[in-house]
Amino acid sequence: MDLTETEDEKSFRAEARQWLQANVPATPLPSFDTAEGFELHRQWEGLLFEAGWSAVSWPVEYGGRGADYLKWLIFEEEYWRSGAPGRVSQNGIFLLGPTIIEVGTEAQKARYLPAMASSREIWAQAWSEPDAGSDLASIRSKGRLSDDGTEWILDGQKTWASRAAWADWCFGIFRTDPESIRHRGLTFILIPLDTPGITVRPIAQLDGDAGFAEIFFDDVHVPVANTLGEPGKGWNVAMAAAGFERGVSLRSPARFNVAVDRLIELWKQVGDLDDDTMRDAVTDLWMQAEGYKLHTAMTVTKLLEGGHIGSESSLNKIFWSEMDVRAHELALQLLGPGAERTDGPYESWVDGFLFSLSGPIYAGTNEIQRNIIADRVLNLPRA
Amino acid sequence: MQFSFSSDQRDFAASLREMLTNEFTTKQLREIWDTGTGHDPALWARLSDMGVLSMMLPETDAGMGADFTDVILLLEELGRAAVPGPVFETMTVGALALHGTSFATGIADGSVAVTAALLGEANVPHAGMSDVVLLRDGDCVSAVERSALQLTSVCGLDGGRSLSTILRPTGLGTIVAIEWSEAIDAGALGAAAYLLGVSSRMLEIAGDYARERRQFGQPIGAFQAVKHLMADALLKVEFARPAIARAAWSMAVGDDDRSRDVSMAKVLVADAAVKAARSALQVHGAIGYTWECDLQLFMKKAWALIPAWGTTTFHRRRVSDAVLGVRV
Repeated sequence: MDLTETEDEKSFRAEARQWLQANVPATPLPSFDTAEGFELHRQWEGLLFEAGWSAVSWPVEYGGRGADYLKWLIFEEEYWRSGAPGRVSQNGIFLLGPTIIEVGTEAQKARYLPAMASSREIWAQAWSEPDAGSDLASIRSKGRLSDDGTEWILDGQKTWASRAAWADWCFGIFRTDPESIRHRGLTFILIPLDTPGITVRPIAQLDGDAGFAEIFFDDVHVPVANTLGEPGKGWNVAMAAAGFERGVSLRSPARFNVAVDRLIELWKQVGDLDDDTMRDAVTDLWMQAEGYKLHTAMTVTKLLEGGHIGSESSLNKIFWSEMDVRAHELALQLLGPGAERTDGPYESWVDGFLFSLSGPIYAGTNEIQRNIIADRVLNLPRA
Repeated sequence: MQFSFSSDQRDFAASLREMLTNEFTTKQLREIWDTGTGHDPALWARLSDMGVLSMMLPETDAGMGADFTDVILLLEELGRAAVPGPVFETMTVGALALHGTSFATGIADGSVAVTAALLGEANVPHAGMSDVVLLRDGDCVSAVERSALQLTSVCGLDGGRSLSTILRPTGLGTIVAIEWSEAIDAGALGAAAYLLGVSSRMLEIAGDYARERRQFGQPIGAFQAVKHLMADALLKVEFARPAIARAAWSMAVGDDDRSRDVSMAKVLVADAAVKAARSALQVHGAIGYTWECDLQLFMKKAWALIPAWGTTTFHRRRVSDAVLGVRV
């Protein structure tokens, strides 16, 4: 065990910090769930890419920096401490990208990864359906091969597709074997959102912005070359991605450490410093964020030493999402009636509170995560 | 940065687990409870033979010269088996306080057991079978031989942990080479790592029961209410684990934040232990509420150690003083 940073890690941190200080926009960008904000975030992603910071853990040949996950954690710390914009490219760079690197063909890597790293192409996730939410395996959207076998023809409906209102591509799971049930017979397919037959209908979220959308597929033709992994094995491909997403990359610890630091500042500014209950609550939050950082560092070390992330990634997802809600609830408690105003000095806390509430729901509800932990970590009998 | 234990560290812990699984079953633990001594001399000798007790003594005292990162997994295994007697106390604060003294080689050869009462505890654990009791002396620590103290045995919850009230004649004992706050850090981290093992074991026992016990035609572990109860407890246990490992590192290198890190570890594991005990009991239902069920051996150990070496309030305040500034 050695928790000190190596010289190499220190200079990596210094380099990241220097670049971010020089380049992070002075004023916050508008929400990426608006048309204007989306494009401004795309430009920011382009700037990150040019400097080699958009996908630090990817191989250099695909637009990454070739950094190991420990350096990725360092970059994330510097990124969120610098106040840099949220990542509109999240679905691609942190979820689909690592999956393509793991299971994609060389041609697919060359085709998709550089455009993803530069945010020339921004990706939406198209997994859930109106009748396939927590029960994702009950997917009904269909894909069938064209007569000449060169194209998938897609029909059906996806929903809660994050970033789909303005994204360029989506990655979805389709039932390509009509005889199949549940997890079998599904195929993971990459689809340009401007393909004829696709209709995207944005959905306003709790904050009023179109953070997700419905996607309708009506006789949509895409090349079979857009299949990621083997046809019929889409569930495994999706779950490989989901494990990585929940386990490491979806929410790096740094953003919570930064949020808790802000919470401590807020407590110092507006809190009743004689209120020991609040003092204890803020302290507990600090310990949670610190604990999450340590847990992630341990997971990443395990990966670097040749281990795998298993179902324990579900523990992470519950932990960070509950912690995030708690931090924002405390902030709102500190702000009192002042937190009702959405365009004032505390706008970011109100926005953050609304956003935090999505955490226990998306990427598999926390109840589903508890089932996964019980079944696969605690080895309890399946229901 | 490398946040993992070495293969040597893991291998030693695995061999300790194997020894305890084979040679120290819950049946044997119950026999110790029945003796009323809270101590198993044969097991103590076995741990001494394995070199477990002397890990943190310097080589000049016949120890291994190990630091906290080397013993943390061992302490967890000892907790997993609810090993009776002042085992983590002797291994951690005992070794750090008494190295270089005439007691040190006795720790190594198993002839000296060490306990402590550094926070003004009314009931001192393990005093009846210990040879040395560490007591607070201002900012310092005094080592007092048991024979110099007047002990009155009292009844305790955990049969692996005898309790006494002590009357301390003034002016007795020798000031030892450890500051009071450092001794608290060492003992609290020892307790935390041991308590992590106790907590994991309670969840294992509950998991075994949830797989076997059938109601409504299926194992109760198949019910979502049971799954979620146990998943939430596991969450707390697994997030205490890296905090304990980090505190071990901070202690090993003498990091400026070591007291904060130890306190954070103790808060998180105490919280996990509360949850694990409640959940494990609830999963068992009425059978868990019996003397016959082994779960009680571990719940009672947990309940004894949750407030030991500083209550959760004590440790949370130490963290908040470090993170938010000292309360004015």
